[in-house]
Amino acid sequence: MAQDLKIRIYSARQISIQEPLQESWMDAPLTYTDGYVRAVDPDFKQFVSAGDARRMGRLLKRAIATSVSALQEGGVDMPDAIITGTGFGSVENTELFLDALVREGEQMLKPTQFMQSTHNTASSLIGIHTHCHGYNSTYSQKGLSFDCALYDAWLQFRMGKIGSALVGAHDEMSSVFSEFMRKAKHVREGEICSEAAISVLLGTDESKPAYCTLDGLKLLNRPTSQELSDAIHSLTDGCKLCGVMTGMSGNRENDSWYGFLNELIPDVPLLSYKQIFGVNFSSSATGLYAAACCLKKGQIPACLTRNGAPVRTDGGILLVNIVDGRHYSISLLKSLCGNY
Amino acid sequence: MANDRSVLITGYGIVSAIGLNVSEVLDSLLANRTGIGSIKYLKTGHTEFPVGEVKLTDGEMERMMGIAPGTPTTRTALMGMIALHEALASAGMGAGDIEKAAFINGTTVGGMDKSEQYYLDFIENNSHDAYISTHDCGSCSEMIADRMGRFKYISTISTACSSAANAIGQAAAMIRLGDVDIVVAGGSECITKFHLNGFNSLMILDHDQCRPFDAGRAGLNLGEGAAFLVLESRESAQRRGVKPLAVLSGYGNACDAFHQTASSPNGEGAYLSMTKALADAGLNPSDIDYINAHGTGTPNNDVSESQAMRRVFGTSLPPVSSTKSLTGHTTSASGAIEAVICLMALKHGFIPANYAFENAMEDCVTPVDKVLKGVSLNHVLCNSFGFGGNDSSLIISRAE
Amino acid sequence: MILKLKQEIIEVLNLEDVKPEDIDNDAPLFGEGLGLDSIDALELIVLMEKNYGIKLQDPAKGKEIFKSINVMADYIQKNRTR
Repeated sequence: MAQDLKIRIYSARQISIQEPLQESWMDAPLTYTDGYVRAVDPDFKQFVSAGDARRMGRLLKRAIATSVSALQEGGVDMPDAIITGTGFGSVENTELFLDALVREGEQMLKPTQFMQSTHNTASSLIGIHTHCHGYNSTYSQKGLSFDCALYDAWLQFRMGKIGSALVGAHDEMSSVFSEFMRKAKHVREGEICSEAAISVLLGTDESKPAYCTLDGLKLLNRPTSQELSDAIHSLTDGCKLCGVMTGMSGNRENDSWYGFLNELIPDVPLLSYKQIFGVNFSSSATGLYAAACCLKKGQIPACLTRNGAPVRTDGGILLVNIVDGRHYSISLLKSLCGNY
Repeated sequence: MANDRSVLITGYGIVSAIGLNVSEVLDSLLANRTGIGSIKYLKTGHTEFPVGEVKLTDGEMERMMGIAPGTPTTRTALMGMIALHEALASAGMGAGDIEKAAFINGTTVGGMDKSEQYYLDFIENNSHDAYISTHDCGSCSEMIADRMGRFKYISTISTACSSAANAIGQAAAMIRLGDVDIVVAGGSECITKFHLNGFNSLMILDHDQCRPFDAGRAGLNLGEGAAFLVLESRESAQRRGVKPLAVLSGYGNACDAFHQTASSPNGEGAYLSMTKALADAGLNPSDIDYINAHGTGTPNNDVSESQAMRRVFGTSLPPVSSTKSLTGHTTSASGAIEAVICLMALKHGFIPANYAFENAMEDCVTPVDKVLKGVSLNHVLCNSFGFGGNDSSLIISRAE
Repeated sequence: MILKLKQEIIEVLNLEDVKPEDIDNDAPLFGEGLGLDSIDALELIVLMEKNYGIKLQDPAKGKEIFKSINVMADYIQKNRTR
């Protein structure tokens, strides 16, 4: 097992409620007052032919667009692994098929809708699009889906099975399902129910330009305070932090889960991204994307900080994602020139 | 690939159309008794399709697991709980052991059996809101895991018909790298109107008993069930004083990258997953004593998988059978259900039959058509291929 | 009737950039021509049932019937129940 294994984030691309496939959100984020906001889509024609697109819903087109962009930017034609996370899969197709099934009955249902509704459609479609026969998997663990996908990539890297991985998170919404999200408290009061598609390209080639490095990842279910403390220390001991990117959202219940950080990591600014990208099952990927962008730029913009003042990235960024007050994902990103 | 951390299998549990536990399933396999028949439990208008249902109502499963009536549960979760309960007991796992273990479940339908019943209520009123949060895959895994204790980490893989195989593969990786000592991995899936109708719209369901690899095969029969394996490091097994039942010696995962629902004619993804599994185990094709094929009974899969097997094994093709003509195609759970069948084959020295096979065909392999008893197996290969070309293969070996 | 059929096919298969006049009545629909595949064939089977009351049990038969617009229209004329 490579002790000095360095995993780099070559590139990261997003389609979300911010301007797509770019980082204008860092200086001039779009702001919303509605409780349910759909993503801002790019022109997909530059990524998918009309013929291929004919049976792709929005989620799949976004998955292809962000994947192709990330691969282009990262300078990789074909990744060794494609792993995605999705909480609900293709809502659009699930809803169409389910609606027809329930309202019209069990006859004359459309195969395309069924076929595209399975959760692994995005991951396999990216495989088909890139002609990639490598490792391919899909995780569906609500707001932890991306973290599980990233952990799998992490395992594959450490086993020496892969040199590059395209890891993504894709979740879409509909107005019907956004009501379900609220009823089930997957989206809480004061939070924006949104959509996101994120593709992150990681690899071990040190000659390739990169945003930052991924230095470690821990996933825990209902940890004791000691287990949580041990996990954080194992990642951060001896490392200067410039910020902790949290899943805080302004909702009191959600934010209360992050209270332990004030004791465990005092004096490090707490950052948040849900006020920019909203809340959905792929949110934690937007957090990693945002943190990677900060390290690349050398600065944490004001829109991510709690006090509205930008922060210099003179340390690593710790990512903390807590789902339903029980699943904890903790990871560490460091700048390439980090000597802290 | 050289590895100093063997992945031992120290326990397993199963619930399926051919038995509600390990002992019943073994009985059915040895008697070559199919669990496929007409639909009794699912309320659907499509009674023309034979299916492999678990012969228990939701109510009966709730009572088996001691769940208070009125507690929101789903059929997939209930089956998962039953299989998990048996797996943990067989590995002698107590609360303390569970806290050291990870849980990885494979499912695609999750709580859809309830969502399709209550969908209009979800939209129009509040009468069944409790079932909104049981819909997704991850919640299903939590329900199964939480019933038994506090696992260290819970995760859900959803790669259609290869989900459980991938869960087992992930578990092996976690143990090899020393991230965790014990992982319970497998899958659970119940039959729903959603995917019964979905498969019907793809016109790949047989109106009769399915016949994998048979010249007259006309599609698959859906099945349901759950199975879990307890995978463990040698160190942990020794510390706990449990004997290994077998070794998870190889895993391969590849993408066919051809089409969303059809397999490539030359079975590229399948060829690669088998090849990778062999390389992972450090074995040659000639070391494999039996292949439990994916063998769904669709014209497409069986010819594609046969082609792939011939490419890998050439003239040293071992006995092959698909047990889906006994259990039905249990989709997300199939990788684990069939892994358990392979474990039984290893332990009891038999090769299960490819039930209902009659007529060979040039473009398909000729499977074993009756139970072969008194055989000594060392290495068994188990294939699981999912929609979208998510192809996975496991190799299970005799424990030294 | 041919025009209606073309419009229905375009809609059901979501062929956004294709207009009825782009589809030659005798050109193959599958493989070359429009380049449709097996999933499209299944969608056309659903269309046949929904719009014309024709139930096709064997998907393999679909490839013959959907050979071209003319062949398809001819089959519908002979077998429609709606």
